[in-house]
Amino acid sequence: MVWFPQRSQPATPRSTTAQPSDLVSPTPATRSSAPTTTSGSDLVASIDAASSWHLDDVFATELCSLEIPAIEPIAIPIRVPPLRTKVKGFLFPNANRPFVPPAVGNLADPSEEKKRPKRDNKQASRGRIKPPSDMVKLQDRLFYMLQPPLESLVGSGQLNFPFNPFPYQLDGMAFLFPRYAGILADEMGLGKTMQAISTIRLLLCSGEVSNVLLVCPKPLVTNWLREFSVWAPEIPIAAIEGNSAKREFQWRSPQIPVKVANYELLMRDHTILEEHDLHFDLVALDEAQRIKNRTSTTAEVIRSIKRTRSWALTGTPVENCPDDLVGIFEFLSPGYLKPGMPMHQIAKHASDFILRRTKDMVLDDMPPKLYRDAELDLTPEQWSTYEAAESEGVVHLENLEQSLTIQHVFELVLRLKQICNFDPVTGSSCKLERLVADIEEVAASGKKAIVFSQWVKSLDKIKAALQPYGPLEYHGKIPHKKRNGVIDQFKNDPNSHVILMSYGAGSVGLNLQFCEYVFLFDRWWNPAIEDQAINRAHRLGAAGAVTVTKMMAVNTIEQRINDVLDQKREMFDTLFSNHEQPTRNVGLNRDEIFGLFDLRAPCGKKVA
Amino acid sequence: MADSSPENKNPTLGYLTVVNDEFTGWTGGMLVLDRGGRPIEFQCTLPVRPTKAHEILFGPTLRSHLISEVIGKLLIQKCRTPLSIVCTDLADAMEIEAFTQAPVILVREAIENEDGSIDVKGADELEAVPFAGATFLAPIDVASKVESFAGRFGDLPDAVEPFERIREAIKEAHSQLARQQSGAA
Repeated sequence: MVWFPQRSQPATPRSTTAQPSDLVSPTPATRSSAPTTTSGSDLVASIDAASSWHLDDVFATELCSLEIPAIEPIAIPIRVPPLRTKVKGFLFPNANRPFVPPAVGNLADPSEEKKRPKRDNKQASRGRIKPPSDMVKLQDRLFYMLQPPLESLVGSGQLNFPFNPFPYQLDGMAFLFPRYAGILADEMGLGKTMQAISTIRLLLCSGEVSNVLLVCPKPLVTNWLREFSVWAPEIPIAAIEGNSAKREFQWRSPQIPVKVANYELLMRDHTILEEHDLHFDLVALDEAQRIKNRTSTTAEVIRSIKRTRSWALTGTPVENCPDDLVGIFEFLSPGYLKPGMPMHQIAKHASDFILRRTKDMVLDDMPPKLYRDAELDLTPEQWSTYEAAESEGVVHLENLEQSLTIQHVFELVLRLKQICNFDPVTGSSCKLERLVADIEEVAASGKKAIVFSQWVKSLDKIKAALQPYGPLEYHGKIPHKKRNGVIDQFKNDPNSHVILMSYGAGSVGLNLQFCEYVFLFDRWWNPAIEDQAINRAHRLGAAGAVTVTKMMAVNTIEQRINDVLDQKREMFDTLFSNHEQPTRNVGLNRDEIFGLFDLRAPCGKKVA
Repeated sequence: MADSSPENKNPTLGYLTVVNDEFTGWTGGMLVLDRGGRPIEFQCTLPVRPTKAHEILFGPTLRSHLISEVIGKLLIQKCRTPLSIVCTDLADAMEIEAFTQAPVILVREAIENEDGSIDVKGADELEAVPFAGATFLAPIDVASKVESFAGRFGDLPDAVEPFERIREAIKEAHSQLARQQSGAA
């Protein structure tokens, strides 16, 4: 409803659609008619009803009602189900078994055992046991995963060692502990023996195994017995030896939880194992590359041993080609790897079974290994003999034509390498001249050196030239019984500055970390064997930097072989460095051997 | 549910924690250890995934509800081994004391920040008890009971590390669950 002010003067009736401005602004007529001198009391207002309008005439008063519907809320239920879950439980029946072995004498830092260093929350615990990927059942996997890390057991004094293990060694034990098939392939000198012994000790004490067979090369049997007496003195152990009756008794004896046998002996005694249906909870092979050739008798006999767990220890799981690894896997998990598999596939499949660490990876305080390539020119006498031998030899090989075999090539290689060592006519040797000068310096500084050669005859000649420096010998012609005495004398005799070793006898299992110099008088076919030899000196506890001198006669067969060895190193790196990309096969194949003399392989094309 | 009494000859520690994963949900685990830190029993819940409605309606109380009343309570109930002490690294889990007779404590080293401080409401009312190289924060009324057990766990290698084991085990269980689901699909 709208109200208009009542007017005192006549006005034209207006429409009801008056503008708002009309309501507030006086019209000009109104303004001019207003007397300026008249007082308010003189004014008389009269209304002409006929010509006026009234509000009631304009607007018809009407009452309107608006219907407003009542608000009726509707409840929409939102169901919130109670949060519920289910539980899966696992009881570990073996939990009450003693897990850690009893304390033994000669504990490492007993004064520090009771101290609990402040915990570093950021650092992950070392030695945490992780189940292998082929273990499927969740309960089994959790049993291992929920075990306390070995590092914490060592730290609390529950688990004792005669010497404090390195953290990577605890990792190695944690790797082996749950595995039914595994390769510990640490580089030489990182303590594979100790890791294996300590894990066997844990397995025996926790009741996981009760009957263990260790197989190693014959010269290393005493080494294993010695290491066991250090790291697991409470575990009864015996080497299988003696006459047939004694050996049979030993094999069958349940009183000896750990038996040590050498590969050669097993060739004879495997019938005893078969006849008595002997079974082992664990068979561990040291220097497992011995079974790399899966068709060899050794490999077949080893594989025939009945066992639950299979471990392989080797610093050189691959020596020549990736198929070496296939041979070892035939022992661990037959058929898992196939011969001829591409290298990257082998690397991928095998990765969960292999633990390999190098010194560079795990040891910050390991002394450096310094390589010196002594590239020497043959003496004139050697050159003369060498050139004649090579040209005659190659002509001979070419004349053989279809009857040429790889053996013929090997014979020529060996002959030429021997000439590179010593001239067979005059005995002249560029290498010996250099070696004598170097050993003189080694002896003058009170140090010790190892000299490696492929041939005992070469070692004999070297020995004669090095007499002033008290040379000792350790090779195939030294009886096994005398070998430990040789090592002891070399270690303790201040006048003995050099030991002469063959690659075969001296490349594995020996601890000569007091030597700071290694000389490779000639080169082996395989870099892995050379590395094993070098690592006799470059290992844990090494006195200082180890200098390795590799002697090589330039522009000879030695240099050509060296190039192939470099390629083999590349192959090894590919297999064990988790590379995803396939790489070319760089093994020393048949054609490459013929290629050393630029020869044409029979029934094949000429290879450069 | 199996509860313990102080006379228990083989005292045990129950480690309880809950993991929240964006994709999986909330999963709880309880690991029961003997005096040497070896596992006796492990209980693990299936993941719980609260809905949006739960999040809205429970608001800030959802976390505490899940940890103590849903997961913690169930783990305690299902545990078959008598427990001497329940250890946790979650302040919200302290409320499970309503469901067990065993003292429930917070392991200080597992909850402290890098500078050694802790952000736990009411921490001032907890008493610090040295225990196997760590510090257990126990409600005052049970502190003496916890203290009486400390001497019996002298061989425990590490009083903090077991939480890592539970988390690893939960991760393992999740991955196996995922494998089963992908296999079924």
